[in-house]
Amino acid sequence: MSDSLVFLMGEFEARFPTDRQYARNHMWALPVDDRWRFGFAAYAVRLLQDVYFLDWTIDAPAQIHIKQEMGAIESKKAESTLYAPATGNILHFNEELLADPSAINVDKYGNGWLFEMQAVRDEFLAPEEYIEYLGEVWEVTQRTIKGQMNE
Amino acid sequence: MPKRINVVLSQGQSNNPAKRKLEEDIVTALLMEVGIDVTVIPHLYDLAPDGTGMLALQGVSGNLVVHSWMYERAARWILDRNSIAGHCGVTLLTAEDEEDEDDETEQEQKDRVLDGRQLPNRKIYCIDLRSSKQAAEFVAEIKRIAAEEATQVVDLMNWVGGNAKPEQLERFAQPTNDTALGSQPPAAKPDSGPAELFRIEETGGRRWYPVIDYSRCTNCMECIDFCLFGVYGVDRVETILVEQPDNCRKGCPACSRVCPENAIIFPQHKTPAIAGADVAAGSMKIDLSRLFGAPEGTEDAFEVAARERDEQLVMAGRQAVGMDDLLARRQPSTVADSDKDELDSLIDELDDLNL
Repeated sequence: MSDSLVFLMGEFEARFPTDRQYARNHMWALPVDDRWRFGFAAYAVRLLQDVYFLDWTIDAPAQIHIKQEMGAIESKKAESTLYAPATGNILHFNEELLADPSAINVDKYGNGWLFEMQAVRDEFLAPEEYIEYLGEVWEVTQRTIKGQMNE
Repeated sequence: MPKRINVVLSQGQSNNPAKRKLEEDIVTALLMEVGIDVTVIPHLYDLAPDGTGMLALQGVSGNLVVHSWMYERAARWILDRNSIAGHCGVTLLTAEDEEDEDDETEQEQKDRVLDGRQLPNRKIYCIDLRSSKQAAEFVAEIKRIAAEEATQVVDLMNWVGGNAKPEQLERFAQPTNDTALGSQPPAAKPDSGPAELFRIEETGGRRWYPVIDYSRCTNCMECIDFCLFGVYGVDRVETILVEQPDNCRKGCPACSRVCPENAIIFPQHKTPAIAGADVAAGSMKIDLSRLFGAPEGTEDAFEVAARERDEQLVMAGRQAVGMDDLLARRQPSTVADSDKDELDSLIDELDDLNL
């Protein structure tokens, strides 16, 4: 793999390849021809750990707005609704992940890609900006996790 | 003599190893028993109406115990929509609080669609696989049901004593004998023969459509008015039904929010009340939705329904309609104080106590 930047989540070194950009919802975005390919960045995968189940709540192709609800994920540690990382046209999903989502853990920056879309506006962050952003949200993330664990 | 009991196990969509293991542990344990037929199917909700899985279930006669990773109501009414009907068997193995069943009997009496229906003379038990982590508990429950079914004679004794229930009189007047009408002739299988296992594979994709609980539905037609995608229709006697399930917009539960009786189930929705729970059960796992970009909002159910419908209309290249008159009229925020029911008043009083 190409060069990557590292963000420390506690002791854990989360790596972020510099060949792509990042969305604030912790997905990576890689330009492929005239479209963007998205997948989970190491930050999200670390929080989720083993992914057991992935489901999309829209059918592709579909016009979608940034932050619009588009799916759900269940893992060993967590569950979450998934939201669109950008505004645009979702072209197709990685169908193989529906039967077996383990590629998200095994190869998050490659075969574990989630979907491809034509993004109308690219509001993505450069790797350096994303690392900076992680510095801002890491505290909130820890509070969220601890807060819910203690409930 | 005990009848053979048909056990169906609907596999989950998730690859959670704990769930997979529970499914297989139950099957393995049942195969050690006698008088049981076990059918393993892919996720019940995803089965095509004319697929091998549903056909196999339709071919099963007699009492049925169906295990799935869904709320009992969801499983029961999916089966019902596919002509696999029967009286609701009561399982003692449940993930939910039993208490709220009392609440329901206190509700005002309305005519439900189910009241006007005749059900085949058999019982269908639906069990939520989330009710226990122990395969042994499911096996014990199946044995309890088998024993219960073996002592059905008691009902008849009541009748002889002059206490016939309405459905018994009905059966006497019009014997249905539905249980003998399987697609295959009933095999001359010894009732106490060894357990048999049938595994059914089906490769259809995931589906998304509403399921109507006719024990709650009052045929009010709010859903058919609300849905602009032609999912709902009426049958020959003008009863609402899910006519075109695959017209439904994936992920959209909006009609369920506008149903006054909470009779519309989307078994895969993350909100328990929409997925068919009697009571909203708390989730055990951490919800990361806020971190992943969930909007913060204070919409009521009708506003959410209008927004969800608009999102689907826009995605389908159609015009958004927003909060139409039908919805606005029913919005609770517009209800005057005088229209409050007893529960509202009680809650207001509790609020005033300032505990």
